[in-house]
Amino acid sequence: MSMLAWVVAVLVIIGLYTLGPAFGFNAASPAILGMPPLYFWFVLVPLLNPVILGALYLIDRAENPGDDDELSDLAE
Amino acid sequence: MSDMVFILGIVGLGVLLVTWVGIRGGRQASTTMEGWLVNDRQMGPWLTWFLLGTEIYTAFTFLGLAGFAYSKGGGVFYNVATNDVGYALGFMLLPAIGLLGRKFGYVTQSDFIAGRYQNEWLGIIVSFCAAIIMIAYIDLNIEGLGAVLSVLTDHRLNILSADIIGFSVLSLAVFFGGIRGNAWQSVIKDLLMFGAIAVLFFTIPYRYFGGFGDMFSQMMQKIPSHLNMPGPTHKLTLSWFWTTVILTGFGQWMWPQWFNVAFSAKGPRTLKLQAVFMPFYQLVKVAVITIGFAAVLIFATQKVGGNEVVLRLAQQIFPPWALAIFALAAVLSAIVPAGPIIMMSCTMLARNVYAKLVPQTTDRQMFNMTRWLVFVVTFAALILAVVAQSLIVTVLLVAYDFIAQLVPAVIIGGLLWRRATGAGVAAGLLVGWGLSLYFLLSHHDPVLGYNAGFVALLANCVTFFIVSLTTQPVPTSFLDEFFGAAYHRRRRQVIAAPRGALARDLPDSLKNPVS
Repeated sequence: MSMLAWVVAVLVIIGLYTLGPAFGFNAASPAILGMPPLYFWFVLVPLLNPVILGALYLIDRAENPGDDDELSDLAE
Repeated sequence: MSDMVFILGIVGLGVLLVTWVGIRGGRQASTTMEGWLVNDRQMGPWLTWFLLGTEIYTAFTFLGLAGFAYSKGGGVFYNVATNDVGYALGFMLLPAIGLLGRKFGYVTQSDFIAGRYQNEWLGIIVSFCAAIIMIAYIDLNIEGLGAVLSVLTDHRLNILSADIIGFSVLSLAVFFGGIRGNAWQSVIKDLLMFGAIAVLFFTIPYRYFGGFGDMFSQMMQKIPSHLNMPGPTHKLTLSWFWTTVILTGFGQWMWPQWFNVAFSAKGPRTLKLQAVFMPFYQLVKVAVITIGFAAVLIFATQKVGGNEVVLRLAQQIFPPWALAIFALAAVLSAIVPAGPIIMMSCTMLARNVYAKLVPQTTDRQMFNMTRWLVFVVTFAALILAVVAQSLIVTVLLVAYDFIAQLVPAVIIGGLLWRRATGAGVAAGLLVGWGLSLYFLLSHHDPVLGYNAGFVALLANCVTFFIVSLTTQPVPTSFLDEFFGAAYHRRRRQVIAAPRGALARDLPDSLKNPVS
């Protein structure tokens, strides 16, 4: 399950970065939220990626709880 | 005292201070080879995140990206995508490599390749070639240092002299500073670098345009060709962008210094957390790219070298004391990350090439050789910087053409395809590196609109598959053990390697060529 989720996440992230410019964002105007379209896309996607990878992380952690051994470091 | 002397004095003092911090930290470093190279496999999530960030976000980010945006336009966004694709791939790949490192005692990339394919010669060749390719990465840091010095002296120091000083500073700082920059060096460098970028990012729109909205409006009206692809050069098309993202995204973890993060981390969870949080660093790159686009409007018809854009803007905006801190940030962004890169290159040459060819080499001899190789490797980078002056990003793109040819060996054959053989890897690399070299020397990049390294990688993959299928595979018993360790599903147990264990200490059955 987590392997499948990982493959999907990788494809989604590659797709967001490569297909966005192909489908309308590779343009200098009109502005989106005041920004040039391509610029806007490359502000948006880096913000979406932690969400996608965070979901993948939660799926993986549920499947492999033993991996959490070293998480105590986060509390330091 | 002139402003120039004051600024250079502050920068010099800052470099000495940070080098001293590195030397102090080095005294407390582990004395074993495993501690030296992979921090005893004990790096937790925060330290891994911080040090990885320090090593990935360098003079390339600080100075190079703005220059590429300024000169080449929207194609620069490839680099925002590159790292994120790399982080997503690393989510599963790095933990598998880390588990294999623990199981078999691997501490370098070539240990991994020699072990997987049971072919020590393959490890030696890959190690030598990767160490040479890494010189390009050192070159870009020298070019970054050279650009800083050139701008600060108002070009009274020519590029050659600036590069030579850059080489001297870099090699001496690494030689005396030790093997791996310690956490405090990274803290100082990151605070200064990200602080400097933030100040510039928020100052430029209000000083020159009246705000972010006005700045973007002027960009859309006056420089539309810079804001999309193919950009002002008309070369960086969408097909170039796609193939570059794939090549560099998959190639990211092929850099030996980053590959090693898999061996250094405490465990799979540490590595998976990196994938979630590292993408936030990418917003820093967007900020730098914004500065590059703004520079097109600000400098208008003035001729400014791409690598100098950020510093020239800082020179216009900041008073001398602030410019001194900014320049120090730029210098540290080259020196601090270059340390591990130079040392990894030297270590590979000494440990994975020389010591394998001369087995009676002692650890002390290897250590001394590694230190003195710092000057040899950095000097080679200086030669490259002088002979092939280029945009920092262009240097890195060429380097990626070569380093990404390791993808079939590491990802496809190393972690996914059991039938892959050492002969297949060697043949694929020969084709991939040969084609990359041909495209580079004949100025055929892009090739019909596609990234030249990507085209070479496709040819590499085809050769790799064909030759692998026609040559003798590694024995099944070893492959069962190898892939079993890579995809071992842990339930609160950790595959433990004996402390201090090295690949060179492995039984002959695991490290010697089979055939």
